[in-house]
Amino acid sequence: MLKGLLVGNVVVDRQLNFLVSVNVLVLVAAVAIAGTSFVNVYNLQSMAVQIPELGLLGIGVALAMIAGNGGIDLSGIAVANLSGIVAALLVPMWVSADDSPLIFAFVFGGVCLCIGIVCGLINGLLISRAGLTPIIATLGTSMAYSGISVVVSNGSGIRLGYIEPLDDFGHMAVLGVPICFALFIAIAAAIGVALRFTPFGVRLYLLGSNAKAARYAGFSQSGLQLVTYTISGILASIAGLIIAARISSVKWDYGTSYVLIAILIAVMAGVRPSGGYGRIVCVVLSTTALQMLSSMFNFLDISNFFRDFAWGLLLLAFLQISRIDLRSRLFGKS
Amino acid sequence: MATMKKLAVCALLLGSVFTIGTALAAGNKTIVTVVKLAGETWFTRMDQGVKDYGVKTAGVTTSEIGPGKADAAQQERLIEDLIARGVDAIAVVPFDPPMLEGVLKRAMDRGIKVMTHEANNLKNTQVDMEAFDNAAFGAHFNDQLADCMGKSGTWTSFVGSLGSLTHVQWADASAANAAKKYPDMKLVSAKNESFNDANTAYNKAKELLKKFPDLKGIEGGSAVDVIGIGRAVEEAGLVGKICVYGIGMPNDTSRYLKSGAVNGISLWDPKDAGFVMNKIAHMLVDGTEFKEGMDLGVPGYNNMHVKQGPGKGIIVTGQAWIDVNKDNLDKYNF
Repeated sequence: MLKGLLVGNVVVDRQLNFLVSVNVLVLVAAVAIAGTSFVNVYNLQSMAVQIPELGLLGIGVALAMIAGNGGIDLSGIAVANLSGIVAALLVPMWVSADDSPLIFAFVFGGVCLCIGIVCGLINGLLISRAGLTPIIATLGTSMAYSGISVVVSNGSGIRLGYIEPLDDFGHMAVLGVPICFALFIAIAAAIGVALRFTPFGVRLYLLGSNAKAARYAGFSQSGLQLVTYTISGILASIAGLIIAARISSVKWDYGTSYVLIAILIAVMAGVRPSGGYGRIVCVVLSTTALQMLSSMFNFLDISNFFRDFAWGLLLLAFLQISRIDLRSRLFGKS
Repeated sequence: MATMKKLAVCALLLGSVFTIGTALAAGNKTIVTVVKLAGETWFTRMDQGVKDYGVKTAGVTTSEIGPGKADAAQQERLIEDLIARGVDAIAVVPFDPPMLEGVLKRAMDRGIKVMTHEANNLKNTQVDMEAFDNAAFGAHFNDQLADCMGKSGTWTSFVGSLGSLTHVQWADASAANAAKKYPDMKLVSAKNESFNDANTAYNKAKELLKKFPDLKGIEGGSAVDVIGIGRAVEEAGLVGKICVYGIGMPNDTSRYLKSGAVNGISLWDPKDAGFVMNKIAHMLVDGTEFKEGMDLGVPGYNNMHVKQGPGKGIIVTGQAWIDVNKDNLDKYNF
């Protein structure tokens, strides 16, 4: 156990170091090649604003993976779109956006969160109570949620128009930091702390690394899973709120490519797909690395296919580096 | 140590790739064309026109980019990065026009010129360019069909789906044209839905041929309808007895054009559209006025019609369809 933890910690540090160095490297390369306009305030803010929606989905996937039992959440973007669409349809019936925009924005956010909780609970119940495999359950609910989105919105996009508080939430910066990015960092920090220092976090890691031992230790496996998938659903609905605020419209098929990118982010952050290990700070760093890399390529007019290629390369490089290191450590110590 | 070495090699490699890119862009006005999907035949052809404009015109650098996956979110991110990069003008073929309202507004707020193509419902654009008037295009199909049918007989039409705005506009304009000009032509079972699938069009066409043995003319709506209809006509041994016209891509339809199962297809050339889009963007950068009847220097775009769009911008319309049949097929290799 002690040795396991030791090795685990070594891996943790290498993970973090690697991600930090990748971030720095990409930033330096981008400035060297694309010029200093890459680090001007506008571009830094523009990148920061693009990060939260992917980052939140990435954290959701990471949490599901940490919980073990083949955990994954494929329904993230479907939940995000569904919450945005339901809120965009319902809220204008209750509150006038012209008369009381602030109330509108808050009710909008509230409705998004409610949908997120409901969707997350359904995922959690299917997995923990009905005992479905997470990948199948969330694939199914993802299709179901998208289906509902299509039906209620008739398959077309819904325009929100210009609603000042929402637009500010999507774009405005306070002290140079975009509000939605600050929110993302706050959420990530809260979850990171919860995983590290609360009983919930400790139990989640233990459940992920050894479900049988966790059961004999006497804590409720299904309860933990239920909470985890509900949190993932809430995170997705916050992503939905941010999307709606950022582009002031919602549509059922927005971000269909995010499903795989969110998984890529989690895996690149070193979250173990079989469960029991993963750090939120690494998830954040892996999101920023991907964002900077893709913005850099766009600055240089480089094909998007090359970006996918570079992401793949980065993932492979990471897997390779961490693996070699682990092996030499193990052989060196024992 | 080994890690550092590897990273250094990676950085060197990446660096050498990118220096080539930046060397090219210096001092010129930058116009970037953002398409729906990179790598698709249509947009690969458009890229030729985009590049062509940059080569033939002094003082501008043109390029085409597009998301690797058909997803509004990816397209939105591309434009977000272009704004941060501070290009002079953006020309967009929106994947889903309403989803881009917010980001295009921000582009214009930052002083970037914005022009769009195939988005006459978009508010936040300065100029939207349409290759032709949809009603005139529909009437043009009908005139061709009438000539071939000897101005009398039973005919029918196809659309991709009843939700495809342009398809329905073409079919309705065709019907109106026939009702006005050709009293002996009888429209039966109009607007059959092919769901943009050649096989569905084939099955529908077979049914129609059975149901209406005196059918003399069929009009395709989506780009693949004529392929299915052509196959049905060939199998029924009715080549030369039934007139088939519709929108289509030359290479996809060439087999049926050569056999005579399809009499002719009409389309607009994406290469010309790409060229003209960049010309318009360049005019916006230079502050040139858009006048009714202006000549943009490409056949079909010699007499542009200017009208007010749904927002502050204008819509300019050309007469840029081309008719392709077995005699001039060789000229259009796309």
